Amino acid sequence: MQTWTEKIIMFIWCGFSYVFLLSPMIVVMGASLHGGEFSAAIKFPPDEPSFQWYSKIPAEQFEALGLSLIVAAVATFIAALIAIPAALGLVRSNFKLKFAVSSVFRAPLQIPAIVSGIAFLQLYYLIFDTSGLMLAGTIPGMLLGHVFIATPFLFGTIVAVLQRFDHRLEEASYSLGAGRWRTLYRVTLPTIMPGIYSGGLYAFMVSFADVPMSIFLTAPGFVTYPVELFYAMENDFDPSILASSSLVIVFCLAMLLIVQKVVGLETLLRSGGGSAR
Amino acid sequence: MENRWIAYLIPPFIITLLLVAGSQFVFIQNSFYQDLGLGRTGTDLTLTNYLKFFSDSFYLKTFWITIKVSAIAALLTLFLGFPIAYVVARMKSKLAMFLLAGIVVSTFVTIVIKVFGLIIIFSADGLINKTLLNLGLIERAYSIIGTQEGVVIGLMHFTIGFSVLLLYSVVVTVPPSLEYAAQIHGASRFRVYQRVIIPLCAPGFVVGGLMIFNMCMGAFTSAALLGGGRILTLPVLVQRTVMMEVKYSTAASIAFVLLVSVILINLFSLIAIRRLRSARLVVA
Repeated sequence: MQTWTEKIIMFIWCGFSYVFLLSPMIVVMGASLHGGEFSAAIKFPPDEPSFQWYSKIPAEQFEALGLSLIVAAVATFIAALIAIPAALGLVRSNFKLKFAVSSVFRAPLQIPAIVSGIAFLQLYYLIFDTSGLMLAGTIPGMLLGHVFIATPFLFGTIVAVLQRFDHRLEEASYSLGAGRWRTLYRVTLPTIMPGIYSGGLYAFMVSFADVPMSIFLTAPGFVTYPVELFYAMENDFDPSILASSSLVIVFCLAMLLIVQKVVGLETLLRSGGGSAR
Repeated sequence: MENRWIAYLIPPFIITLLLVAGSQFVFIQNSFYQDLGLGRTGTDLTLTNYLKFFSDSFYLKTFWITIKVSAIAALLTLFLGFPIAYVVARMKSKLAMFLLAGIVVSTFVTIVIKVFGLIIIFSADGLINKTLLNLGLIERAYSIIGTQEGVVIGLMHFTIGFSVLLLYSVVVTVPPSLEYAAQIHGASRFRVYQRVIIPLCAPGFVVGGLMIFNMCMGAFTSAALLGGGRILTLPVLVQRTVMMEVKYSTAASIAFVLLVSVILINLFSLIAIRRLRSARLVVA
């Protein structure tokens, strides 16, 4: 029912937005094929394409990538352990101040990450002053910060799924003789699984991409990948960074494909992965 | 039954409350001690840091720039995000899923990598500069680093993926049948936009715009990298005050000002949602 003029305007407008949205990533992947020796000549499209910089990615970048993957995975796991019972408890129970309790769980999303970063750093200094335990620059310290920013994503998506949950399923399970735990494991959890997957994916990706929180919690030799990139950009960078960045983009694509296979993109969008913010 | 579910809620609530309240309390309290530099602070609670913030033209200018670039970035992001959201929401094909997948991937990729790409695109012998130089539109190569436009573009890249997902959820709530109904009654396409699509999407736009504005206000990475130390926004100032000047209390006070402004905008958008919702019930 759209007129041709409208279709053409939409096509151009949309196309422009897409070019804007995707061009930086395409350029990074293209420029990583840079064939020359000197980093000053980084160009897109590359002059003489080669994969030479992929074999020159320094070990620190792989270590940083490894650290980022571990932190993101463990933080997402812990966040799920917090968010699943929290969402179940909140949606199922009835009490006043429900809104306030829900706000506490969602609060980390409203606080700018840089504010959380400096807040955690100062909290760790206070703990150090009182007990001599230094958390900044350690795995537990980093994890605590990432759990903090990751939890609201899982909480938001699971609450969204639970609000559409059909209670008769559980009642049926009880009336057929299943106990409380059996119902939880066989009925409730499987039904909210899509919410857990998509919330977990967003939580993982946010933690994996985070700079403003991690930048305060790193130490020399203990740097997450985005922070490593951040520092590399402030100084001089060579094309090996573009190569490892391209690997990360491919990794993100792979994650998306896995999600598409496991829960479907529709679920990811409907469960409000984006609107959880 | 009731008590059982509350029992699920209590342990995670205590953990989260401790993390939120603990971290926020410590830095807010720190912000009220006088800053003696090098990480040392005075012992008495004062308002010195805040008085300094609101009387020093440097801080006030930074505050103003933060608001300005965030507002411009939020408006432009809505402008670029809407057509994608509309087209994807109205298209019923594999292509729509493919387009959405592109957006989701771009929200996953860390902003640092995207800034990399931007810098290559705008580099002295990059595509844009070469074209503009050849066309004679500019005299010297344009540099994206250290300019306000650069920061705006960076902020837009930080928020656009999210804003498309947000606008998509807004457009989906407007059934296409309403558009058809208007057209059957003789409305032109322009009229359909004017009287159906835009009024119905407006509440979502207002709220989404405020959320995007908020994200921009708190955005650190893109603003830091593209500001290049010349264009400072509040989040960048917080990080520089900690890392370069080692002034924890001053940084804490700047962070608190940022936090309060963001929370105020959030409250405002919550009120806006309520108002617009009740208004919309009357219209419908």
